Amino acid sequence: MTDLTPITALGAETARMQDFGVLRIAESTDLALASLSLRAGQDAPTPFGLTLPDAGGWASQDGQAAFWTAPGQWMVEAEGRAVEDFAAALKAEAPGCSITEQTDGWVTFEITSERATSLEALMQKLVNLDPACLSCGTAARTGLEHMSVYLIRRSDTCLAVMGMRTLADSLWHTLATAAARLPSEA
Amino acid sequence: MTRLSGGLIDRDTTFAFRFNGKTYKGHPGDTLASALLANGVQLMGRSFKYHRPRGVFSAGSEEPNAMVELREGARKEPNTRATVAELYDGLVARSQNHVGPLKYDLLALNDLFAPFFAAGFYYKTFMWPRAFWEKLYEPMIRNAAGLGRLSMEADPDAYDKGFLHCDLLVIGGGAAGLAAALTAGRSGARVILADEDFQFGGRLLAESHLLDESPAPEWVAKTEEELRSFPNVRILPRTTVFGVYDHGIYGAVERVSDHLADPGDQVRQTLWRITAKRAILAAGATERHIPFANNDRPGVMLAGAMRAYVNRWAAGPTHKADDPVAIFANNDDGHRTALDLMAKGVPVLGVIDPRADAPQLGDYELFAGAVVDETKGRLGLSSIRVTQNGKSQWHRCGALGVAGGWNPNVHLTSHHRGRPVWDETLLAFVPGQGGPSGLIPAGAAAGNGSTAAAMKSGVEAAKSALEQLDILSVSTPLPKAEDDASVQAAFWHVPGKGRAWVDFQNDVTVKDIALAHKENMRPVEHLKRWTTLGMATDQGKTANISALAVMAELAEKSIPETGTTIFRPPYTGVSLSVLGGGDTGADFRPRRLTPTHHWAKAQDAVFVEVGPWMRAQYFPRPGEVHWRESVDREAKAVRAGVGLCDVTTLGKVDVQGADAGEFLNRLYSNMMGTLAVGKVRYGLMLREDGHAYDDGTCARLTEDHYVVTTTTANAGPVYRNMEFARQCLWSELDVQLISTTDAWAQIAVAGPKSRALLERIVDDFDLSNEAFPFMGCAELTICGGLRARLFRISFSGELAYEIAVPARYGHALMERLMEKGADLGVTPYGTEALGVLRIEKGHAAGAELNGQTTAQMLGLGRMVSQKKDAIGAIMSRREGLAEDRRRLVGLKPVDPASTVTPGAHLFAEGAARSMETDQGWITSAAFSPHVGSSIGLGFLEEGDARMGEILVAANPLEGQETRVEVVSAHFVDPEGVRLRD
Repeated sequence: MTDLTPITALGAETARMQDFGVLRIAESTDLALASLSLRAGQDAPTPFGLTLPDAGGWASQDGQAAFWTAPGQWMVEAEGRAVEDFAAALKAEAPGCSITEQTDGWVTFEITSERATSLEALMQKLVNLDPACLSCGTAARTGLEHMSVYLIRRSDTCLAVMGMRTLADSLWHTLATAAARLPSEA
Repeated sequence: MTRLSGGLIDRDTTFAFRFNGKTYKGHPGDTLASALLANGVQLMGRSFKYHRPRGVFSAGSEEPNAMVELREGARKEPNTRATVAELYDGLVARSQNHVGPLKYDLLALNDLFAPFFAAGFYYKTFMWPRAFWEKLYEPMIRNAAGLGRLSMEADPDAYDKGFLHCDLLVIGGGAAGLAAALTAGRSGARVILADEDFQFGGRLLAESHLLDESPAPEWVAKTEEELRSFPNVRILPRTTVFGVYDHGIYGAVERVSDHLADPGDQVRQTLWRITAKRAILAAGATERHIPFANNDRPGVMLAGAMRAYVNRWAAGPTHKADDPVAIFANNDDGHRTALDLMAKGVPVLGVIDPRADAPQLGDYELFAGAVVDETKGRLGLSSIRVTQNGKSQWHRCGALGVAGGWNPNVHLTSHHRGRPVWDETLLAFVPGQGGPSGLIPAGAAAGNGSTAAAMKSGVEAAKSALEQLDILSVSTPLPKAEDDASVQAAFWHVPGKGRAWVDFQNDVTVKDIALAHKENMRPVEHLKRWTTLGMATDQGKTANISALAVMAELAEKSIPETGTTIFRPPYTGVSLSVLGGGDTGADFRPRRLTPTHHWAKAQDAVFVEVGPWMRAQYFPRPGEVHWRESVDREAKAVRAGVGLCDVTTLGKVDVQGADAGEFLNRLYSNMMGTLAVGKVRYGLMLREDGHAYDDGTCARLTEDHYVVTTTTANAGPVYRNMEFARQCLWSELDVQLISTTDAWAQIAVAGPKSRALLERIVDDFDLSNEAFPFMGCAELTICGGLRARLFRISFSGELAYEIAVPARYGHALMERLMEKGADLGVTPYGTEALGVLRIEKGHAAGAELNGQTTAQMLGLGRMVSQKKDAIGAIMSRREGLAEDRRRLVGLKPVDPASTVTPGAHLFAEGAARSMETDQGWITSAAFSPHVGSSIGLGFLEEGDARMGEILVAANPLEGQETRVEVVSAHFVDPEGVRLRD
């Protein structure tokens, strides 16, 4: 185990979390990520028993999840495994596939609210996607304030925004500004 | 006071506001214009060119005259239309475009010189002497031009943006819009209803008609309440849909807090991009006037507006309550104003109608077959001259309502080159074919002007839209409403000698149009530019059709033969702040921070923007007062010991697959498929046209796994091009790509002591030259088990490495390297020193790879392999490109104290400074601590054969000339011994 101490994408020792009315934005620092791409002629594997979702989909099972990123490509997530060599673990689960470590390529902000309408109101200020089309179990890549992000609707009450790690500060600023501006009735 | 009874104002609350320093009172529901009128204020501003006294002319966003500077200090906003400025307690406004008090404008002198300010004045005058234009005329005109003045302070307010999606967007909340929204809302469609006004209802609020025996505002309120109760309906008051864009996207500005004295925590405005499957344009119609002599005095206004002030705002149009009001109308609708005025107890002089058979709709004096052809009144209307049957008579008159017919607001239908068509029955342009797909005009905007027709049209438009969307529409019973046809005459202006204003905002008169006709500026486009008609904030909403009619009369053509007025976005003015729609200053755009950013910040690094990145430029130490001191020290430290630089910004692309080598062979000009595992190769990419595109390294980690690096600037574009090649050019290849730029923190460890430093952090890895030679790469662990990648590559020309770790550990790795290298003199260095080191080594960077250079020019001609094809390879050998004989050289000043200036061009000594004698240019320059003088790189004709030659580097723009010697581009270690050591 290395004796180097990691920092978060926002440059701190611990993950940032802040409440904005009924919304909570929490930085997720322990989410491991690796991309999985099929090679020519390969069938989709079922890493960790997970059925990889179709276009626009997100699927989860037992702490692992995956969302579709392009034809024959997925991003696989694993909670609590960010400091491991998760790419190697995934490689073992999906032999023959092209696997690339992506854990620190991204910063993930989990936005939660008891009210789905709050998440949707927030989305309206952030991305040009119809909230009605981003239902539970879907994911999409889109532009957000000139940044490229993945949006994952994990549940009615949870929306994950995944952006480039080096843009973490700007992404937080954008999310926090929009959340703070939402009217209390949203 | 001319406040009347009734109206849709809240008399229980009183607001105090100031206009030109004087305090007045108004009520919630008032606009600034209505409150001023209710206080007997007719004079609200001065005209653009002649500084004529002007009063409010309309009751909506089409207002040409009553523009004010609203608010004070940094929040002051010029050219705000008083007719749409919602009154709030404490509102402060000032009239604009006058020198001295509004009543005694010194520039009113211009009016005396009106004959000199005719159409085309600017184009014809100030032609000589030519030298006077820039120094005298233009500054003078610019000073006099414009209307309101900016505060010149930073805008303190916040602006927002957002995205909305719906089945149906209803633009306009009047009779047609409400009926449409109600139909679609009840049918379950997702509806957005937007109206620029702060109250829904449109003209229903301005008229005295009944709906089902009740005042129309009651139905409006009930309908609004029902719409608000629908979860599938969103209603947006104070929201102007200003433009139609591609794919059913509509631009809209919501004035969130313009009606508040201080927005507090709220944003001031929000820019909405609305994606609508269908839209209904129910924007109503704008009344036009009838030009006649001196028709611009305060008190002369549109008859429909007068009706709105009386009915909605309970504001009389006159200066004094007992002043009589007259109506000049060429249609029946104008007569209604007289009826409504009388109902409110306003004295009515009568209705002047040019139609001999004008109807008598009520108990008022009718001047049939008559016209108003002159007025009097210095700062406000005092009398009008009515000419009937050849006899003229003056009448005392405090206000005149002018009704020249209604123009459907077709603006948005012409945003996609849709052309309105002339309707001879309506005497107006109505929406034509070919406008924005999915936009359905309804109500008065489609020429259905009566209340009943507008509502019916709204329902039908909604049903049509829903049917297209396969949504079953429910029936919407409508209230009984007036359905009177408004008969009108094609009477466009009153001929006469005096100046008859057509466009009030730009002071364009009938005479100006006649002059434009005489000078052959007859097409409407020429007319507009010659006279300035239809320009500025109102975009000629009340003027364009009248002008067209006058031109048609002069040209003896019909109106449609004369031309068609079309419109571009925005429908009304949109502030740049809301278009920017977000942050200013440091957060204006996203900033990428390197993994060691926070560490560098703690070291007091000075940062520089490099594209979206913030990079450490240099690390000043105590006592260093000039950046050069820091940079020289950093560069020397690398050459003498070891330096650390965060190079995470370089693009990194993971390339895997059975055909990865072949893919890279086709991508790079040089061979990559033969690269051994564990090795790195410098690579050059060309553009399709054969020019050099990007350089970087390619490392082979395993048989089917490469890591490509790109320049910082081209990280995105190169990755995009690679994806294009993978997906579109060579989809038969088994290749998978993904960017890993952000995933790995990469630190350059450069200098003769770099190996010694790295040996202190690697876990059981042999770094000796034999085990890990120049251009080697490896996956290894460091610091007790952290996975890392090590590349032995050098940008500085020294023994050097780049080490990559998962980005979260970049900060800690930098700290560890600094700690472990203290005794080795380890020094962090920034982009400035990085630049110095690479110029000293003669490495090309962005200034050399600028899209105009070839591999041969860079001295990399042999990297374009003859054994295989690659993007741009064949084109690089084409005639005209292959013969370019400019070559990259080093340049050193003959006098070491001189400075080599990048951008300077190279000339032979004594040669003229011209394109013909130009021999090349300097691309990069820096002070080299190694050489002890300024040095540069540049491209020079036959440069590789001109070593030792003396040239002149000239910068004629700043009068600089430096004698330079042509030397090798490699100022440091030209044999390349150090980096292989």
